[in-house]
Amino acid sequence: MKLSRRDFFKASGLIAAAAAGSVPVLGGLEPGLAHAGTSSGEWSNAYSVCDMCFNKCGCIARIQDGVVKKLDPNPKFIKSRGMLCARGNAGVSQLYDPDRLKHPLLRKGARGEGKWQRIPWDEALDMMAAKMQDIRKKYTSCGHLFSAGADLQSQFVGRFAEVYGSYNVTSHESLCLLSGSRAFLDTFGEVPFADVLNSKYIIMAGANRFEALVTPDSIDLMTAMQKGTKLVVLDPRYTKTAALANEWHPIRPGTDMAFMLALAHVIINEKLYNETWIQDKTYGIEQFREHVQKYDPRFAAEECGIPAEDIVRIARELAAAAPAAMIYPGRRTSDYKNSTQIRRSFAIVNAILGNWDQPGGLLAAREVGLKGVPFDAPWYDDNPDDRVDAHKVPMMFEHDGSFVLTRDAVLSGKPYPIKGWFVYKTNPLGTAPNRAKTIEMANAMEFMTVVDVAMSDTAWMADLVLPAPSYLERQDPASGLQGSAACACVVQRDAVVPALYESRPVFDILKSVAGKLELGEYFDFTIEEYRKKQLRGLPNAATALADDGVYYNPSKVYGIYKDRVYKTLSKKIELYNKRYEGMGVDPMPVYSPPSKVPKNRFRMVVGRSAMVTQTSSQNNAVLHQLTGPNTLWLNTASAKNLGIHPGDTVEVASSVGRGELKVEITDGIREDTVYMLSGFGPLSPQLSLIFGEGASMSAVLQEGYDEICGNAALHETIVSVTRKVAS
Amino acid sequence: MSIKQAQLAMVIDSSMCIDCKGCMASCKIANDSPEGQWRNWVKHSVPDFTARFPKTHFQPGGCMHCDNPTCVQACPTGATYKDKKDGTVHIDSSLCIGCGNCIPACPYDARFRNILTKKADKCNFCAERREQGLLPACVDTCPTKARVFGDINDPESEASRLLAKNAGRLVRVVNAKTDTKPNMIYLGETAPLNWPVEAKMPTAMAALTSVVNPLVRTVVGLSGIGVAVMLVRQLIAGSDSEDDVHDESGTDSQNKGGDA
Repeated sequence: MKLSRRDFFKASGLIAAAAAGSVPVLGGLEPGLAHAGTSSGEWSNAYSVCDMCFNKCGCIARIQDGVVKKLDPNPKFIKSRGMLCARGNAGVSQLYDPDRLKHPLLRKGARGEGKWQRIPWDEALDMMAAKMQDIRKKYTSCGHLFSAGADLQSQFVGRFAEVYGSYNVTSHESLCLLSGSRAFLDTFGEVPFADVLNSKYIIMAGANRFEALVTPDSIDLMTAMQKGTKLVVLDPRYTKTAALANEWHPIRPGTDMAFMLALAHVIINEKLYNETWIQDKTYGIEQFREHVQKYDPRFAAEECGIPAEDIVRIARELAAAAPAAMIYPGRRTSDYKNSTQIRRSFAIVNAILGNWDQPGGLLAAREVGLKGVPFDAPWYDDNPDDRVDAHKVPMMFEHDGSFVLTRDAVLSGKPYPIKGWFVYKTNPLGTAPNRAKTIEMANAMEFMTVVDVAMSDTAWMADLVLPAPSYLERQDPASGLQGSAACACVVQRDAVVPALYESRPVFDILKSVAGKLELGEYFDFTIEEYRKKQLRGLPNAATALADDGVYYNPSKVYGIYKDRVYKTLSKKIELYNKRYEGMGVDPMPVYSPPSKVPKNRFRMVVGRSAMVTQTSSQNNAVLHQLTGPNTLWLNTASAKNLGIHPGDTVEVASSVGRGELKVEITDGIREDTVYMLSGFGPLSPQLSLIFGEGASMSAVLQEGYDEICGNAALHETIVSVTRKVAS
Repeated sequence: MSIKQAQLAMVIDSSMCIDCKGCMASCKIANDSPEGQWRNWVKHSVPDFTARFPKTHFQPGGCMHCDNPTCVQACPTGATYKDKKDGTVHIDSSLCIGCGNCIPACPYDARFRNILTKKADKCNFCAERREQGLLPACVDTCPTKARVFGDINDPESEASRLLAKNAGRLVRVVNAKTDTKPNMIYLGETAPLNWPVEAKMPTAMAALTSVVNPLVRTVVGLSGIGVAVMLVRQLIAGSDSEDDVHDESGTDSQNKGGDA
């Protein structure tokens, strides 16, 4: 018998001498328990729904000895295709982040000075109610602003604002996607889902699905490409989506509309569309045909920097693949002053491809089956007529408002003063353009309350900071989700572990304050009861949610509009928008070139990676190890012109602010463009991992806004880049 | 009686990798890898920006669980061994003395000295998870399911079926001088290919084998002297020398100048 070294060691007493570490010898001999630190306690499993970004993917928490050890994908969760991304995995690090807020804090020094006093919850809630009552008396209920993110309890902030009597609610959305929603709504009558999985040809412009993950689109894009779907990416930057695409065209930023109108020019003039479909389903083809004549591929090539032959070829390929072809609608549309019209051009090309409600095209919303829980808000006679940001742009979304315009109104005190601010699960100090101005806005407040998991920059500016539990520690209402053709589903959350520290869900906070303001009747329910009401039309949902962590509604996917009219004025898909015509807005997208970038200056573009959700994941220990601080992408030739070398620290400065960060010199960005990742360079030192690291996009970006819907216009920012001499 | 033993392996279609690093985060949490240390990675090819349409190929990887593992040969205590039951290369941490010999002996830089346990560490195909009936963490979480795991000696496994279907386009990423016969099998045109290095066998072990008369190189002698030498080596080298930290920047710099 041959005795290996291993067998010998096992047999000999040398093992004790060799095992100098702390691992018990016997434990180490057991097969499968090879690594230190694993206790032998059994795992239990609990369903949850991820909240590390907005996608709400299904996950399973593996719990051992009362500790969440691991989050795994829920294989039955079709919307996320049975996966969990890096951020989803890192949810554990959010839960156990030592920097979490632990108890209510009251500001003692000046705003942003960082002097806090720990106070008991009773005192905090009494104070919040008293201040809200105060502000209401002095400035009417509309003198209080409410801002919320997009998690499952955010809806209660809206409910509270409404019963308290304030119209002034801003969501995260006006810093994000409203221009795109506006454009597609005003073309099709609703905001579609993209059937990426079944599409044969996808043009992706102003979207970056292999980094800015959207489920199931990101995953479906790869699956579809494996089956032969062609992906054409237009992006000034070599993103991972560009890197994996069939074609990457480094388009001049802000010229997408020229490209889209040229595609339409080719498709219409070469009659590459389905005539019957256009006649039956669309409105304004004649006007549009006329409109696109001046936007030929040669014109677009001049504007976009993409050769005319390519534009013609792509138009023909796209039309040949139609209707299983699309201009991907994208999501992050907060880029230009005319973003709604830019995205209208995307929507219209989709319309002439005839892909609406068809496999591989754009899909209408499906029936999820969740019911609302209505209430009658009280009437307040002394309130002003409208939102504080009203009438600045023609087509704002009432429930989302415009953060940029609201901030201007707060600072000017016109049309009326806003002196109270409640913020939950959103961080405008870190995500809204012109941070200096948002700081001024906070300074203009008499009382500001922030409910969050961590001391975000916005919390750092508050008077009262209240600790919230993470999504793994609380019960949340049900929510309806749709993804591609994959599903229309219902999700909900239960706590997988008890809430840590003194954290309390925003629902409990608002319910308590409502009681103190004699509005208790509007919060006279538990989450459990609320969910029952939401699920009243779905008798099988509760069991499915318990068994699988998700309920699917087997509703129709395609052909929803077979015998239905479109929710537009013409009752058809509007190439020519009738409502815009009546409002003095261009009924069809008219191209205007973006502002010129002066020599040695750059247009700044920002973005998201698969490991960063803006500022909400910035202090996450695992994700921080994966990303490090952000860098400024600068083209090789531009860097040479400026005498900037690899590894240099640079200052990037706009008319509103500046930041310092390391440069990343690359051929993967145009010479006239720089890029940095969102989510770094915070003000709050209580984000200890990331404080002092990288640069904040909100400090540098200028505050342009979409002239139709008031969405922020982040890419209107022109910056200088200077080498910092090492000190 | 030729019942084939199991050989657990990972079959990777790297053309499906989007470099989202879900696998790295999942692995890190499942295995409590210390800050800055990783059991797996995603490498990438270097794009050629003079090409009409530049492309980048992303290539996920980890311990290759080789058929001919040089790390096993380099281990003086037998802590690192090829498990006969499932074909994995395993570290018995109770036997590991943290000498670090196995680290340069791996052509794939897949091993590191864990800065907390001071012992050799690497991917074990998530043995603890498999005991619970779960897939390895990287495979389970992967958005595009670029990684497929299973027993490639079992014709019914998904990994086997994938191999059979792609028989003509399998790629084993190896260093020509040290073909360790890896069980991380890539499909199609994976890249980069130039990153495996020549396995460096420990000088102390080499010296030992040349000095000691083969006739007296008994198991006892070899192991006993080997351990003594390695323990001394560890004391001199310290426990967290830079070489032992497998980090992302390391893999990136290694790739520079690689194929497009």
